[in-house]
Amino acid sequence: MNISKYLPLTETTFYIMLTLRKASHGYAVMQKVEELSNGRVRIAAGTMYGAIENLIKQKMIVSVPSEDARRKTYQLSPLGHEILALEVERLKHLVEVYQKTEPEEV
Amino acid sequence: MRKFKIFADFKEEEAYLNEMAKNGYFLKKYTAFGFYHFTDATPKELHYHVDYRKFKTQADFEDYQALFEDAGWLHVYGTKWSLNQYFLPKNDNTDDDIFSTKDSAALRYKHLYEMCYLSVALVIIYFSVLLIVYDFNLANMSFLTPGLWEMTGAKFWRAFFFELPFMLFRIIPAVLLLVMGIAYAVWGSKAKRSYDKMMEDEK
Repeated sequence: MNISKYLPLTETTFYIMLTLRKASHGYAVMQKVEELSNGRVRIAAGTMYGAIENLIKQKMIVSVPSEDARRKTYQLSPLGHEILALEVERLKHLVEVYQKTEPEEV
Repeated sequence: MRKFKIFADFKEEEAYLNEMAKNGYFLKKYTAFGFYHFTDATPKELHYHVDYRKFKTQADFEDYQALFEDAGWLHVYGTKWSLNQYFLPKNDNTDDDIFSTKDSAALRYKHLYEMCYLSVALVIIYFSVLLIVYDFNLANMSFLTPGLWEMTGAKFWRAFFFELPFMLFRIIPAVLLLVMGIAYAVWGSKAKRSYDKMMEDEK
């Protein structure tokens, strides 16, 4: 399967996926992302729900049993981990290229 | 109070609900296919937000409601099947939106026009079956009593009124569905235009 078609991830998706390395429900993800991004990335409820729906459809996250009757808990799937790792490699490479090159070289 | 209105643009729908609230009518309920039920209330400036979604399971719908409540939204109206979901901010953060990216805000228009086009497709299937059933001659849906139009006087009227309910029973659903099919096609194409425009603006 060609997983590079999922890349690059949007900033919102990237934050949601990295947060879901640990099982969590939607609102907790919204709070965590806001905290991790120093308040810069604030995901609204409708966007969050749509993102979860989409990630489930792409099998990047799965719903796991929850103690809360109303709130579903989600977690990154093995495929999700793989894609997240690829994205991190891609971003690392970009930063490396940036740092290795001088303005006049490009 | 009940009002009939159809919106292909959620922004216009939100503006309409805000305007109604300003005039002292708060949204109580929305029922298909465009009926807004209002309760009388003290006029107030409210900021409605409309989402449009289908849910596979009751658990998904509850999870959705819980997420919005946690994030500071009051779920004003919406059922698992209503597609339209109405929200008000619980606090006075009137700048808050239920979407934080343009993509996700545009997606509700896509869901709307997809649903409209699906309905149009179902109407087309219905008429295809109808044509087959009536041997590709819709005149067969009309009066079928042999020699009806040659009859005269009381005999004609008896035969006419005897068959009338059956004839109406054949024709009325078809006419209603035809009207609905056309309405959905118009509604869908308007929503599609709004969607295309939003995606265009993003570039």
